[in-house]
Amino acid sequence: MSDGPKTESKISIRGVTKTFGVRDANLGRRSEFTAVSEIDLEVRAGEFLTLVGPSGCGKSTLLDLVAGLTAPAAGEILLDGKPITGPGLDRGIVFQQYALFPWRTAQGNIEFGLEAKKIPKRERKERAREFLDLVGLTGFEDRYPHELSGGMRQRVAIARSLAFDPEVLLMDEPFAALDAQTRESLQEELLKIWETTGKTVIFITHGIDEAVYLGQRVAIMTSRPGRIKEIVDVEFDSRDGDLRAHPKFGEYRHHIWTRLRDEVAAAQAIEREAVGSVG
Amino acid sequence: MADVTLAKNSTTLEKERSVAEATRAEVAGTPDPVAPALAAVSGPPLALVAGLTVWRGVRSLLAIAIFLAVWETLPRTGVVDRVFLPPFSEVLTALKDLAVSGQLWENTQASLVRSLAGFGISLALAIPLGLVLGWYKPVAEFLNPLLEVFRNTAALALLPVFVLILGLGETSKISIVVYACAWPILLNTIAGVKGVDPLLIKSARSLGLPAHRLFQKVILPAAVPTIFTGIRLAGAYSILILVAAEMVGAKAGLGFLINDSQFNFRIPDMYAGIVAISVIGLAFNALLLRLERRFSTWRTTQ
Repeated sequence: MSDGPKTESKISIRGVTKTFGVRDANLGRRSEFTAVSEIDLEVRAGEFLTLVGPSGCGKSTLLDLVAGLTAPAAGEILLDGKPITGPGLDRGIVFQQYALFPWRTAQGNIEFGLEAKKIPKRERKERAREFLDLVGLTGFEDRYPHELSGGMRQRVAIARSLAFDPEVLLMDEPFAALDAQTRESLQEELLKIWETTGKTVIFITHGIDEAVYLGQRVAIMTSRPGRIKEIVDVEFDSRDGDLRAHPKFGEYRHHIWTRLRDEVAAAQAIEREAVGSVG
Repeated sequence: MADVTLAKNSTTLEKERSVAEATRAEVAGTPDPVAPALAAVSGPPLALVAGLTVWRGVRSLLAIAIFLAVWETLPRTGVVDRVFLPPFSEVLTALKDLAVSGQLWENTQASLVRSLAGFGISLALAIPLGLVLGWYKPVAEFLNPLLEVFRNTAALALLPVFVLILGLGETSKISIVVYACAWPILLNTIAGVKGVDPLLIKSARSLGLPAHRLFQKVILPAAVPTIFTGIRLAGAYSILILVAAEMVGAKAGLGFLINDSQFNFRIPDMYAGIVAISVIGLAFNALLLRLERRFSTWRTTQ
């Protein structure tokens, strides 16, 4: 357990609740749906924080809130001490489904964020190349997304989010759609990129192994409405070699798995109830 | 950090690369241009390869050739009355005579001016309107029932109304073309805008793009292929509807030429007019198809 970081926070999530109005099909009236409830989370500058939780617990909602795509119903989110009022180029998002623009080449996709930042054309081109190199796709600049494999698409998406130099990288299950081998190599590369760029990363996943492998801290969320149940500090004496074979890796993994088990059961009960009321 | 190049898990990356190569080859669809050349080197004689290429060209036109041959033969052998269906060669002669006398060009020009004017005006009206209707969902929901009513009313059923209000001149003819062309463009534009992947919009919004930039950089390019489907349909309608309109009280145009030839029993001229119409229709469609391909190459696997 961690008692709140003493170092300065990059992102402070304080008492954040998000509700959605939904129309109840059976009763024909509107009701409130609480996605996340009273979330408190401090993310340190330059930290790699992973967020695990059962499906439907509001992980993505929390990410949308930090991205500024939606506003909280209660509480506040601060970035460098200033409240987040909307989306901005200080945060970059990487989605599970890549979200590449299919009419733009790999290069064009990476330039997209640079255009939004109003960077001159020449510089855009150079920077896009640089970041294609960084993610190992030199020579693929003229490929359209449909000409690339899933792993390569996600590399382009990561390059796109890094190229406009955001301070925070928000990643929403970015490797969930990839095969195991590609996923592992991308995880490894992501860590290297994080180490060299020093970005603050919030990484959502439903994979416990992935959470332990990548995160300096793992935040466990409860089932709906999502709350932060526990924050686990992940510390290894050395990250060299096969980290997954490290005895401490198994310990962390087991601890998180145990904490999550009850939540997954609760989430499934909620799902069953929802399906039951529809049918 | 720019100069950082990271060591890659090379096997995985290689695998990904080969997958991408395979995808690309599949996507290209057409056979690899290098393949015939390689085949020529390693196996079948060059003559065979050349023969195959010619055969492919011939095959694509074979159905038309057979149709024209039947057209030529049936009247000549007396199976059908050659007064009502002259052989194709006679129709070609009539077409040549019409071309020499200048009548063909005069009528084609009259038709093309009307078609293109109507087509152009409907583009200018329907695309912006469709973009607005697709973007503001409440407006689209409100207007949709009315749009369905008009869309399902055959344009030609409204021709008498257009003539009644706008008279027999150019205005009513161009107007009916505008009307007929506007529907496929409008409906496809609305569908194109509505069909943009919400994730792409979310992704662009997360970069803090203001609404007008979002529209220009995401909505519009994403909708272009669907809009083009509508444009191509409208291209076909612009000729279809016009010919019918020209059969009612026109003094020039290919529709007029066809109808007038029939009245005056110049049957080969009538068929010549019909052939001219189909050639123009084909050419217009081919042109729009090329434009469509050019604007939506990225859509191949979607």
